[in-house]
Amino acid sequence: MFLIDLIMDIIAFFCIYAIITLSLNFQQGYTGIFNLGLYFPIIVGAIITAYLPGRLAMVIYGLDPKLDFSANNALVLSILRSKLSSDPVTSIALLTLTLAAVAIVCYIIGFLSSYPALKLPADYLALFMLCAGESLRVIGMQTDWLAGGVMGITIVNPFWWLGGYSYYGMASFTIISTILIALLYHRLCESPLGRLLKSIRENELTAESVGKDVNGVKRKTLAFSFTILGLAGVLHAFLMGAVVVGGYTRVDFSFWPWLMMIIGGTGNNIGVFLGTFSLVIMRRIMIVGKHYFWFLPFNVVWFEPILLAIMLMVTLVFRPEGILPERSPKIRDYLRKVLKLES
Amino acid sequence: MVPSPILLTALVYSFILSLLAMGFTLQYITLSVPNLAYATIAFASTYLTLTFSLMNLSPYVAMPFGFLLGGAISFMLYKFVAFLRNRGTSIVGLMMATIVFDLIIYASMNIYADYLAYVFKLYAGSFSLSEFDFEIFSFPAVLFISGLTSVGLVAFFTLMLVKTKFGVAMRAVMENFNLASVHGINTERILSIAWFFVGGTAGLSGSLYPIWFAMDPWVGARMFISIFAACVIGGLRSIYGSLLGGFIIAFSEVVVTYFLSLYFPWIWAYRAVTSMVIAAFALVEMPSGIAGLIEKLRRG
Repeated sequence: MFLIDLIMDIIAFFCIYAIITLSLNFQQGYTGIFNLGLYFPIIVGAIITAYLPGRLAMVIYGLDPKLDFSANNALVLSILRSKLSSDPVTSIALLTLTLAAVAIVCYIIGFLSSYPALKLPADYLALFMLCAGESLRVIGMQTDWLAGGVMGITIVNPFWWLGGYSYYGMASFTIISTILIALLYHRLCESPLGRLLKSIRENELTAESVGKDVNGVKRKTLAFSFTILGLAGVLHAFLMGAVVVGGYTRVDFSFWPWLMMIIGGTGNNIGVFLGTFSLVIMRRIMIVGKHYFWFLPFNVVWFEPILLAIMLMVTLVFRPEGILPERSPKIRDYLRKVLKLES
Repeated sequence: MVPSPILLTALVYSFILSLLAMGFTLQYITLSVPNLAYATIAFASTYLTLTFSLMNLSPYVAMPFGFLLGGAISFMLYKFVAFLRNRGTSIVGLMMATIVFDLIIYASMNIYADYLAYVFKLYAGSFSLSEFDFEIFSFPAVLFISGLTSVGLVAFFTLMLVKTKFGVAMRAVMENFNLASVHGINTERILSIAWFFVGGTAGLSGSLYPIWFAMDPWVGARMFISIFAACVIGGLRSIYGSLLGGFIIAFSEVVVTYFLSLYFPWIWAYRAVTSMVIAAFALVEMPSGIAGLIEKLRRG
């Protein structure tokens, strides 16, 4: 059972990080938008997940309005658990509503934040997004009623009706969502839009000179990526069963995905999958294995950023294009044409 | 009337922040690479200050060592970034290189904090050394020392840039890297020394920080928002603009938030976010910052 739990855990976390790195690849690898603040929309998603479904369920089941979801978290959750355990329709409705709310909010935030952000040169855009993410993290940690503040908050599970298999239910939902999102990104990247994004990445001036609205496309790309990242935040929060905003750090939710993309291969979705998979496996092994280093006078968890740094350094020096570099569209198109002619 | 502790906090904070903003801008101008490890490099020296205090020494003794530590790390970072730049690494790759250093320093600070907790049985994850400070004319010494350090370093940099051969060469490198190297200026040496001095300045500012403020390993990440905001207000590429930006952001975060908190008490907890709001507003309404505004006024 332990092995099944571990495998399920690895797959679920791989899926969360795959969604994040695919979004990053869509922004950086395809469009050239240098965004270091990936955790900004992820935190938005997590905060809405902490706030919305629990309170909605309280209204639906007519719980005492004097009870506060955040302040009386344990009591409210025990009541909601008993109700939701026998009500799959409401549970799924809560999940759908949360996803829809996050998608709408993140799209709007992405669209609005692009206005100041796109006025900046690429490097300062990255800093702006990084600071925006850090600011939201501070807000989330300081606001108790939003997501439990520093201590965090436990949230409802939309798969409680599966009894002892609720975690598997959520993990399966995450896997299915990831497959759908990956297919969506694949379709987008292979479509004429993908080529337009690449042309913007390669030379904005040229794209503009042939009548393309570069800023408009970038704005929509950023808003769309924000939406998907927000959904990753929802899935992560539901999977964890709790939201601690302080835990959404730049290292875990921005720098790690960047490393996954760089190691896998920027501009190549399969490479990104490969990079994500290898690093998620490595991280989970480190988390499981840290108990064997109890004798050290410090927490062995701090080796994780050092390891990340070393891997990043080695990749930058020896293989900056990643394991699977971006495929040349010329060769691919040529091969496709030849094969078509032959067939 | 602003109560004196608030005013003192604003002054000490603005001295430290303006120095950090100036250093960040200077490093950016020299290589056109924002140094994401800058704030972490600055605050690594706070643990030197803590170590000296644990040895019953004045925290001010740590200042020169903080300078050396900040300078040495910054120098190594420059060498790594320059190595990658010479191999044709993109701006994204170069910024990632600064993240490498940010992560190593951040992890090392936490390991050291854990070690201090293990050996001295103290919670080094969050500390303040204000009790080790002394008074000058009934004011905390950190006010005068941070002020003098700030003014002294700005004067030093100004004189160096204007009066010395090294400064002139550095300005040439900042204006046009390729042209400067064609003219026979040893750009690598100039930039190495510049990054050492700027890193040292950051280390010096960081070593003063815990004497007045509470410190934890995450301060670097939080302060980075304020440093960035100060640079945006200053005009992104203006050294003196970033100095002014540092004062504006520091006073906004402390004094303005204090006055607002008299009417909206909850707002005090969000003072770290104030700078980000100001920066976003400045980017929309005044993208060239104070430097651009001054330039506009000068041209009439």
